[in-house]
Amino acid sequence: MTGADAVLQVVGGTCPQGCRADPPWESQSRLVRVAQRVERMGAVEVQVDQAAVFRRLRWRLWRNGLRVAWQQGRTRLITVLLTSSFTAIFTFGLSYFLFRQLAVHNIPVKGAIAEALFDLLFFSLGTMLLFSAGLILYASLFPSAEVRFLLTTPARADRIFASKFLGAATYSSWGFVVLGIPIFLAYGWVSTVPWYYYLLVPAYLTGYVLVPASVAALVCLVVIRYGLHRRRWVLTALAILAGALVVWWLYRVGLGLRRTLSTSGREVQELLDQFAWVRSNLVPSRWMTRGVVAAARGDLWGALWPLAQVWSNGAMLYVVAAWTASRLYRKAYDQWASSQRRRKVYRPAWSDRFMAWLVGYLSPAEQALVVKDFRTFRRDPSQWGVLVIFTVLMLLGAGNFRRAQLSDLGRLDQYLISLMNFFGVAMLLCAALTRFIFPLISLEGKKFWVLGLAPLPRRAILRSKLAFAITGALLFAGSLILVADLLIGLPTLVIGVHLAAVGVIAVGLSALNVGLGAALADYQQTDPSKIVVGFGGTVNMVLGLGYMVVIMGLTVVPVHLVQMGRGNAWPPPLWAFAGWPVSLLLAWYACRLSLRRGSAALQASEF
Amino acid sequence: MIELIQVSKRYGDKWAVRDLSLTIPRGELFAFLGPNGAGKTTTIKILCGLLLPSSGRVRIGGYDLTEHGEAARRLISYVPDQPFLYDKLTGREFLQFIADLYGMPREQVGVRMAEVIRQFRLEDFVDDLTERYSHGMRQRTVFAAALLHQPQVLVADEPTVGLDPKSIRELKTLLRRLAHEGMTIFLSTHSLDIAEELADRIGIIDHGQLLGLGSLTELRQQAASDGDLEDVFLKITAETAEAADMAPQPGGREP
Repeated sequence: MTGADAVLQVVGGTCPQGCRADPPWESQSRLVRVAQRVERMGAVEVQVDQAAVFRRLRWRLWRNGLRVAWQQGRTRLITVLLTSSFTAIFTFGLSYFLFRQLAVHNIPVKGAIAEALFDLLFFSLGTMLLFSAGLILYASLFPSAEVRFLLTTPARADRIFASKFLGAATYSSWGFVVLGIPIFLAYGWVSTVPWYYYLLVPAYLTGYVLVPASVAALVCLVVIRYGLHRRRWVLTALAILAGALVVWWLYRVGLGLRRTLSTSGREVQELLDQFAWVRSNLVPSRWMTRGVVAAARGDLWGALWPLAQVWSNGAMLYVVAAWTASRLYRKAYDQWASSQRRRKVYRPAWSDRFMAWLVGYLSPAEQALVVKDFRTFRRDPSQWGVLVIFTVLMLLGAGNFRRAQLSDLGRLDQYLISLMNFFGVAMLLCAALTRFIFPLISLEGKKFWVLGLAPLPRRAILRSKLAFAITGALLFAGSLILVADLLIGLPTLVIGVHLAAVGVIAVGLSALNVGLGAALADYQQTDPSKIVVGFGGTVNMVLGLGYMVVIMGLTVVPVHLVQMGRGNAWPPPLWAFAGWPVSLLLAWYACRLSLRRGSAALQASEF
Repeated sequence: MIELIQVSKRYGDKWAVRDLSLTIPRGELFAFLGPNGAGKTTTIKILCGLLLPSSGRVRIGGYDLTEHGEAARRLISYVPDQPFLYDKLTGREFLQFIADLYGMPREQVGVRMAEVIRQFRLEDFVDDLTERYSHGMRQRTVFAAALLHQPQVLVADEPTVGLDPKSIRELKTLLRRLAHEGMTIFLSTHSLDIAEELADRIGIIDHGQLLGLGSLTELRQQAASDGDLEDVFLKITAETAEAADMAPQPGGREP
């Protein structure tokens, strides 16, 4: 029965039981015209509350997901909650200690320092959220199978966008909220703030998420719609401009830090001035700081105005992003889909042969697996681009302290700076391994049958992933530490300690990421960024950070503390190396337990 | 019901579809055939609004797909070769979502859902999460969802892939019945026997261009062949390939 027949059947002519045959308020000719219009159009116009439809969809997905997680993975769910709680408590404790130190020692500019820290914290969190929301949104709006389905339905472009935006903002702000709230709770506790401070902080954080997430959405839509990602000159020019600005800023920070250190902390203004642009009234992070600090001081109205600024600007940016999506999203999708069809020619590269040579101690089959993973990695610039940027930044930062500029810095400051540098490299290594190595087994996903049916033991798969991870980690972190320490001008023995310590960290973190990546694999997930922020990724990151901090504390920190206390006395005493046996034992256990667990899980996997 | 007016789609220097003009009236079952990479899936994606044509226009039920996309898509159901379902929804919840999205009146939803569940034999698993479904179960659920809101146009891309013989037989019976009841069906398939058995008209596409259009009899005349559809298809596509090889090359070089 066609739509027209149904209309005619209900409102006139033959009528099924229970309905009126001839509505008295309608003439038959008008009914015919309506039926003809229906016939031509083929459908009766309907108004659908798509927002409510998607709200119900999201509720059902969330409810069912939680139910499945509780029924089938209660341990996992509880571990996620416990791990998140542990992270929050640790952050709270550390923040409480640091804020307390500021208060107890009555440092004259502690208010300015706290404000500067908040400015930097909000700015950093906002920047991280901008990038992570942008990446997640790109993956949700373009390559996703779900949008391929939704775009063929009557779902409006802005509705699809809104649904994906909510998911991206939630995913990328999880850490933002888990880390941000404990810091501000600690500040509130130390500063004995009024009760409404604790209500305003979550309101601030939630509103602030809208700002960078909306900007990321706008950038994503515009870049894809106008094919900017394919215009190399645009990306190159933007990268050079951004790089030049960052280099200049780092140079200025370096000068300010040197002044601060050379005056033993008495002159910090030059350093603080380098963060002045973060404190501009046009920057949303500044509104956050003003509001949170006003709330802490008991100035309620002073706190509400910035809150209104954050929410109103966030809401406006979201509306602009949604409006842009309604205009551009379908065209952007078409652009993206068209670009996927273009043929690219991929050939083996010298770097593949170099990687195969580096892992020459493995069997040929395992070498092939390593080269496969390496090829996948190097063919996706979004994987290693961020790593390159951070590496260059770190080297530039270390380069600020070249030997020629060290005349006004004592050895104390050299050790302090190199320790900070080591910590930075270790953190970068931890983040890189979590981002690139942990998801490797999960990403085999539906293609796992290829490896599962291959004539090699599953343990070989794990070995190849481990070899790939260790090779990359040692090359990356080792060269970074070596170059930075040579630039700073450290003694050879200390450079050796650094290299050995980063080696232990690299091997242990690689084993953790590979082992836990297999033990906590999520074969259903195809987006590596979501694998990393999921349950397994969280556990892995927390354990990895803990491992890194402990190894650093046992190996590098004692040498530095001893030397900073002994001035120019050389060499350091033997007891400064007492932590090494424990650290090596810890590394061995970390490797053994995680790889054993991962191997067992991989053996038991079905596909 | 479906009108493609000089539709072209370009990917860089390559034309996936070139000057395709096609009108499919209401109630016709149209089969779209072509070798791999011929442009079938691109044409289907343009029909469903997933891709935009580089030039030309597409109308569904009188609605221009570019200007009145939402209204046009309300008339269409699309069944892709790789069916999508939300892993964390049950089959029933997915059907409910489709009913909501297409604005089905509430009083009709329960009745229609029961009908399609019975029709596609989903009773045993419709209340399980779709992440546990086999390919055949997913295909049946997607078909049920596609027909739930009684669309005017059904577009199916390789619908028989992964189905067992019994399911294929049932699908053929269903498609025949739907076309008889007035639904317009646009079917892309590699299965020539299905096209031969079901289609009112057949379109043969290769290198983005429509090479043959008509009933099997008309195609036989075009190909000057009395063979079955396979013979006709191979002859038409081979002739076109030869013609392309024989065409003068740029620069006056011999082929």
